[in-house]
Amino acid sequence: MKCNYCEWRCELGGDSYGVCRMYQEEGGTITERFPHKWCTYVISRVESVPFYHAYPGSRSMTIGTTGCNMACRYCVNAFVAKEEPATLQDTMYTFTPAELVQMAIKRGCHNIVFNVNEPAVSLPSLLEVSKEARLAGIPMGCLTNAYTTEEATELLASVFSFVNISLKGLAADFCREYVGIPDAKPILRNIKRLASLTHVEVTTPVIESVNDSELDQIAAFLADVDKEIPWHVFRLLPEYKMKEAEYPNIEAINVALEKSRQLLSYVYFHNFVGSDWVNTLCPQCGSAVIERFSLGCGGDKLDRYNCRDKACPECGHRIKLYGDHIKWNGQGGQL
Amino acid sequence: MSLAIIDARKWQNTFDLKTGHKRQDNSLKVQMVKAVLGEHPFPGDIDDKGNQWVTDTALDLVDRYDPNFVFLIYAQQYYSFRFEHPGEAKRQQLIDAVFEEVERFREESGFFPVVVGTGDMIPVKEYIDLSRLDGLAITSHWLTRYAGLYGITPADRRYLRQLNGIERLVSKEEFTSLFSGEPVAAERLPEYLAVAKEGYCFRSTLLRRPVMIPACNYSIPVSAVLGEVNSITDISGGIDAILREKKVALILVEGVGIRDFRLPYTSCANGKGWFAYENGEAQYLTISTGKHQVFAYPPGYRSYQEDGENKEYPFSGYLTSLPPGTVGERFDGKSIAVGNRSMFMHTVTGTDIAIECFARNLANQGCLGVIHR
Repeated sequence: MKCNYCEWRCELGGDSYGVCRMYQEEGGTITERFPHKWCTYVISRVESVPFYHAYPGSRSMTIGTTGCNMACRYCVNAFVAKEEPATLQDTMYTFTPAELVQMAIKRGCHNIVFNVNEPAVSLPSLLEVSKEARLAGIPMGCLTNAYTTEEATELLASVFSFVNISLKGLAADFCREYVGIPDAKPILRNIKRLASLTHVEVTTPVIESVNDSELDQIAAFLADVDKEIPWHVFRLLPEYKMKEAEYPNIEAINVALEKSRQLLSYVYFHNFVGSDWVNTLCPQCGSAVIERFSLGCGGDKLDRYNCRDKACPECGHRIKLYGDHIKWNGQGGQL
Repeated sequence: MSLAIIDARKWQNTFDLKTGHKRQDNSLKVQMVKAVLGEHPFPGDIDDKGNQWVTDTALDLVDRYDPNFVFLIYAQQYYSFRFEHPGEAKRQQLIDAVFEEVERFREESGFFPVVVGTGDMIPVKEYIDLSRLDGLAITSHWLTRYAGLYGITPADRRYLRQLNGIERLVSKEEFTSLFSGEPVAAERLPEYLAVAKEGYCFRSTLLRRPVMIPACNYSIPVSAVLGEVNSITDISGGIDAILREKKVALILVEGVGIRDFRLPYTSCANGKGWFAYENGEAQYLTISTGKHQVFAYPPGYRSYQEDGENKEYPFSGYLTSLPPGTVGERFDGKSIAVGNRSMFMHTVTGTDIAIECFARNLANQGCLGVIHR
């Protein structure tokens, strides 16, 4: 029986659990091998996920499971995402959807974000969590590689109201060699679809001399979908199979982004501590409308929110924002 | 106004340490620290050369700044033991290697070393999972023996009492009375503190689970050169006394205690009563200030509540101010600190200049240099 969650469309049955090793065939249906098993439930700042244009300043409870459908050579969470999921189950937390949502409330979290591995490998559990979260008024977001089937993409959009899609590169050679998929076509299709259904931001890790030549092309594609899609260009942090690689040159990448900044309203360059390129500048007058501080990989935070009614305080230009500015300690119900 | 210099590999940026806002400064001292940072890229927390980086960077800074007091922390072996039990033979090799680095620093710098082992490590016997309480349990990535409890119910109490790994539940009042006479900031104290038995480890939300953790180190070793030291709070005064006569290097060796210390030592109390420090900010500050420092950022407190926008000292982790009374702050001569324990060098040492790795959960982001004065 073919799995229909991601574009690998793996044949499941017996001991075949697909590329992600997270689904199985059971009595003619596809089920999760490890439903409602979570690897973490940690408090984060929404900016650190990163989401720069969704619920700025909010406290997120970030969660994950195990497994992934890609084989990125630089995965920072390979010890969770690329290990055989069965071997990690004794280290997992078991929470029902209601318990997970209650955990977020106890910790004063405004939203829940799935960001450790690929959500497509745990969609049935996440769908159940989203129903509980909706009842409690807790929005859900995720990071995804968007290598999903059209059906699963619709499901993703029904679970998550804000999504950051990792568009790692365009060339088929790059996709095969660095992320382990045949090509990026399904991802481009899904960016278009998700952008029409949910709030979308996009992230591209840059490997110098490998995919930096594609930056203009990626920006042009995104601009064609919506020139206001926030684009996070990440300096690659060499990890996993690229541990020995050089750190990409910050100045060179920044120069390479000049043309992209003409095409897109919100281009950010970060994933390294102390970045100068994490503020939201008004596309109309250039004022800093949201100021942030970057502590590098997973450490960004809101410093000052200057918008008035989601508009530039200087010129009144409307800034693309999903949800309101949220006070860090503003949630009720927390212990 | 302290200055923070970030080095993210061939790219540097300068900030006001307190506000985190960009600051321009081209003074000679800034240029010197930038040069040192640029010449010594950090190899990584568990890289074989992690401790060598401490020695090399410190020697370079000694050469350029000519300080009279140096504060070093060597932590590579601690990270290695914590996440990847290397086997006993390899573990002993790593401990030999860190003491060789200590000796290399002594020999090449001529400083008089006072070496402190922050405590032995032992394999985890069992993890304690408090995620299913009705109330809230705050466990930390880096403190394994203590958990803060909030809003616990009678059912939670029953559950906690039947867990094998719980040594005691301590109320706020009991905790403060243990340290009566010490400075107390009780507002951060958890309602209850759960204390684990030796070898048991409270599970945190960190993705990587530790394989070795600090033992209940009621005593830690201090190299015998300091004379009689009964308590961890005596180390600081001993350093002050020697500093009047010679150049001193206070050197903390992480993850090594009495069992594996390689130098002649005196053992001193590492806490009070049932409370023993684990290696971290509270222990370092106690060594640095000469006063117990359990209450400034007590175990099990809800640090995330103070992490909103506009938090000051954004490079200083959960610390919201610079601790006063540190050994570097008290000393009126020139001082430096170097260590591969992120965040702590510039906060707990108080030295004129501090250089530390900038790594988060083993992800190597570069280095931070701080100039306090």
